[in-house]
Parts: sequence; C-alpha cells; structure tokens
Amino acid sequence: MLYKALILGIIGIIVVWDSRLFGRLNVEQPLIASTLVGIALGDVTKGLMVGATLELISLGLVNVGAAAPPDMAMGSIIASAFSILSGASAQTALTIAIPIAVLGQLLAIVIRMGMSSFNVMANRYIEEGKFKSATNLHIIWGLGLYAISYFVPIFVSIYFGTGLVKSIVAVIPTWLTNGLTVASAVLPAYGFALLLSTMLSKKMAPYFFIGFLITAYANTSVTGVALFAILIAIILDQIIYKDKSSSNDDDSLDSL
Amino acid sequence: MSDDKVMKKENNKKYWQFFWRSWAIQASWNYERQMNLGFLYGIAPTLNRIYKDPKDIDKKKEAYKRHLAFYNCTPQTSSFVLGLSASMEEQLAKNPDDFDPESISAVKSSLMGPLSGIGDSFFQGTVKVLAFGLGINFAQKGNILGPILALLICLVPAWLVTWYGAKWGYTAGNQFLSKLNSEGAMDRVMFIAGVVGLMVIGSMVSSMIPLTTPLHMGTTFKLQSTLNTIMPKLIPISLTMFMYWLIQKKVKTGWILAICIVGGILASVFGILKA
Repeated sequence: MLYKALILGIIGIIVVWDSRLFGRLNVEQPLIASTLVGIALGDVTKGLMVGATLELISLGLVNVGAAAPPDMAMGSIIASAFSILSGASAQTALTIAIPIAVLGQLLAIVIRMGMSSFNVMANRYIEEGKFKSATNLHIIWGLGLYAISYFVPIFVSIYFGTGLVKSIVAVIPTWLTNGLTVASAVLPAYGFALLLSTMLSKKMAPYFFIGFLITAYANTSVTGVALFAILIAIILDQIIYKDKSSSNDDDSLDSL
Repeated sequence: MSDDKVMKKENNKKYWQFFWRSWAIQASWNYERQMNLGFLYGIAPTLNRIYKDPKDIDKKKEAYKRHLAFYNCTPQTSSFVLGLSASMEEQLAKNPDDFDPESISAVKSSLMGPLSGIGDSFFQGTVKVLAFGLGINFAQKGNILGPILALLICLVPAWLVTWYGAKWGYTAGNQFLSKLNSEGAMDRVMFIAGVVGLMVIGSMVSSMIPLTTPLHMGTTFKLQSTLNTIMPKLIPISLTMFMYWLIQKKVKTGWILAICIVGGILASVFGILKA
C-alpha cells in the first residue's frame, strides 16, 4: 500500500502542477487524472470509465445535486483509486472522496494565504540584493507547497484509508473554515489597494470609480468594462490632445 | 546577415523564456496579489540582462519591485503582456530620462483584464468543453484515445497562443513603442493605459471580492438589502478604500496582512461578513 500511496501522491503532484507549471493544459481534468490513476494501478479501462463519469460531472453535463466536491482534481484521483481498489462505482467512490477534497480545499486556502507573506519576503530579498532568492520563492517554494497540498491528503487517505481523513475533517470546526474563506476574500482588497497606490491620483480617480460602478450596478464583466474603457480613452484622447496634434488627427487610433 | 542570424537566435531564446515562464506564472498564486511573483519570475531574466552592471543595482532593485504589484492573467495570453513589458523595460533602460517607468505598470494593468477575460473564456470555456466532450465519448467505450485526444486538443491552441503572444508582444513593443517615444506620444499612451487600467481595476474590485454581510434583525430587516439600495458592492469598495488608506498611513505590510486574516476570521465568527 505504501508503494501505491506514493505513486498516487506523485500523480497528485503532476495534477496540481498542471495549472502551476504548465499553464493549465487540463491534465487536472478528471478524465486525465483518473486515466493516470488507472495506468498506475494497472486497470486502465476502469480508470477511463470512472474518469468519463467524473468528467461529465465536472463539465456540468451531469448533475449530482450539491454533492460535487469543491476540488474535483483531488476528488477524482481519490475516487478513481478507491473505485479500482475496492470495486465501488464511480458515484459511490466520489462520495467517499468528498471529505478528502474538503480537506484539500482547506489546505489550499491556508497555503494561498500563507503565500501572501512571500510578497513581504520578496520585497526584503530585493532590498538586500538577493534577486535569486526572490524568484526562488515563486518557482521553488511556491511549487513545493502546492505539491505538498496535494501529496499529503492523497497519500494519507490511500495509506491510512478514508476513515482517518474523515475524522480529521470532523475535528476542523466550521467557524475556522468559514473564517478562512472570509479572510481569503478580504486579502484581494489589499492587493487592489496596493496596485491603486501606484496608479491613483486625484485626476485619475474618477476612472477607477467609473469602472467599479459599471460592474457594481450592471454586472458587466471585466472584459466588457475594458472595452468601454478603451472607447472612453480614445474619446478623451481626441478631446485632450486635439490642438496638440491637429495636423495628424487620424493618429489617435494608433496610440492604442 | 550573420548579425541578423545572431539577433534572431537571441530573440528566439527570449520568446521561449516568455513562453515557459508564462505557463509557470501560477506557481505561487496567492490571495493578496495573485500572480505577481509569477510575473516577476517571468521578467527577471530580462531585468538581469539589462542591469548586468553592478553599479546599476539600485535601478535593478527598483525594476524588480515594480513587478511585485498585483497581477492576474490567463497564462497563455499573459505571454503577450510579458513580451511587451520586457521590451518596455529594455527601452526604459536605454532612455531612462524620457520613458516613464509607471507606464509599464499602467500597460500591464490595462492589458490583464481583457486578456484574461478572452483567454479564460476561450481556453476554459470553448477549448476545454470541446476537447473533453470528445474525450468522454471515446473513454466511455474504454478507448485510451479519449484522454490522449482531449490533451492534444487542449495543447495545440495553448501552444500557439502562448508562442505568438510572446513574439508579438515583444516585437510590437520594440517597434511600436520606440516610434511613439521618438514622436513624444508616450504621455498619450500613458493616459490611455491609465484610464483603461484604472477602470479594469475598479471592475475587478466589484467582481473579485465576494463579500456580503449576513447581519439581520428578525426577518424584516436585512442589512445587505439596505446596503444594496444605497449602492451594490459597498463592502468590497469600502474594504479596498480602507486598505488604501492604511497604505497611505504607511502601516506595515505585516500588520495589514494580520488585519486581513485575523479580521476576516473574527468578522466571520461574529457574523458580520460572509463570503
């Protein structure tokens, strides 16, 4: 079992690195992840079958009610492993996988939150002239921590069985889970504020609020707002720079 | 002729660098500034090349810090931004006097919104559904071609978009920006990038901070509904402005992070905020 748990943990790392290192080529999709599990455990056909079922759920083509796990990638690895090892159906295996996916999700929130401290560290490294250490935070520590967030829950649940993971999840209080979710939604506000502190001036502030209000009131997507913004910028450009470049009026489009 | 070849080889090396480093942009994705360290990792080789000389170390530090700002973009389309920013950094280093470093940040923020909107809907919407819709059909018959085909269909457009994004971003930046710079049109570009960038950030504040309040009195009074009648998304904008104020007050980053995390947990425990 140690051997199998190790291999499945490594498949977990491959899957989590899909969007971390390979620009999300969709290796993390259940169809691919389950096939990899099937190959590793020597039952490719079963892997394909489970993968196809889970993929339908993941793409939203089949509805399983509110039972879809929050982290489909990790859920599908564990579910297909259980399905192959115990002969359970894909749906049953998925219900077993849900608590593990919850644990994985929680771990991911904590890691993403912890990585906010990388920004402070990177800033200090740059000030000290340790440029390599600053970029290593990203490519070594970032990748490493994400790998752990997948490897550990998968390894533990295969090696010790789902019972242990279930009891761990039962111990985590709901207030902490909810609290971390709220905190993870507060952090981007700080990120945006930092960005604004380099760009915002009295003269430019209205544009920020226009962008905010359009989405707040009309629910327009960021792309939609960007398209409006480009047009507004062209019009303003024509008004502001009209006298300065009246000789070549049609140039204003080029400045995009 | 041989000079051209050397140049071409050097440029190709740069494109590959933008390519791989765009794909690796999410390796340290964090809640606060999302893919900022990934962008820094992407542009670091360019900065190291430009500021090789030990006496330029202060400029190098400044440039590194410039790219620590919030950034978020689909990895495949991000290579365009990376290529463009790299060529802007090169030009800044060539004429530090008449090239405003802030224009680099402005261009980055104005591009990330539209490019991630288009990129996500194309790759995560269209391509993924197409590839896996087909893949499921094969897999259900027990055919290993299913997952292989699905991966290939995802890989090819991702590869092409990232590669040409890197190439076009870098070359467009080089030819176009130097022309603009020599014509003295940079402040116009700055203005346009500033308007688009700020509007995009404003839109992100209202769409990417999913916080509401569950506070209520009986069944008749719900605070969130009252807030909505004043202005929707009042909580996200107030929080952002509060953080902005803290930054202006020069509160240390560590403290602000603590406020975010501890404050967030407390606000959830006392039922003030919910995500």
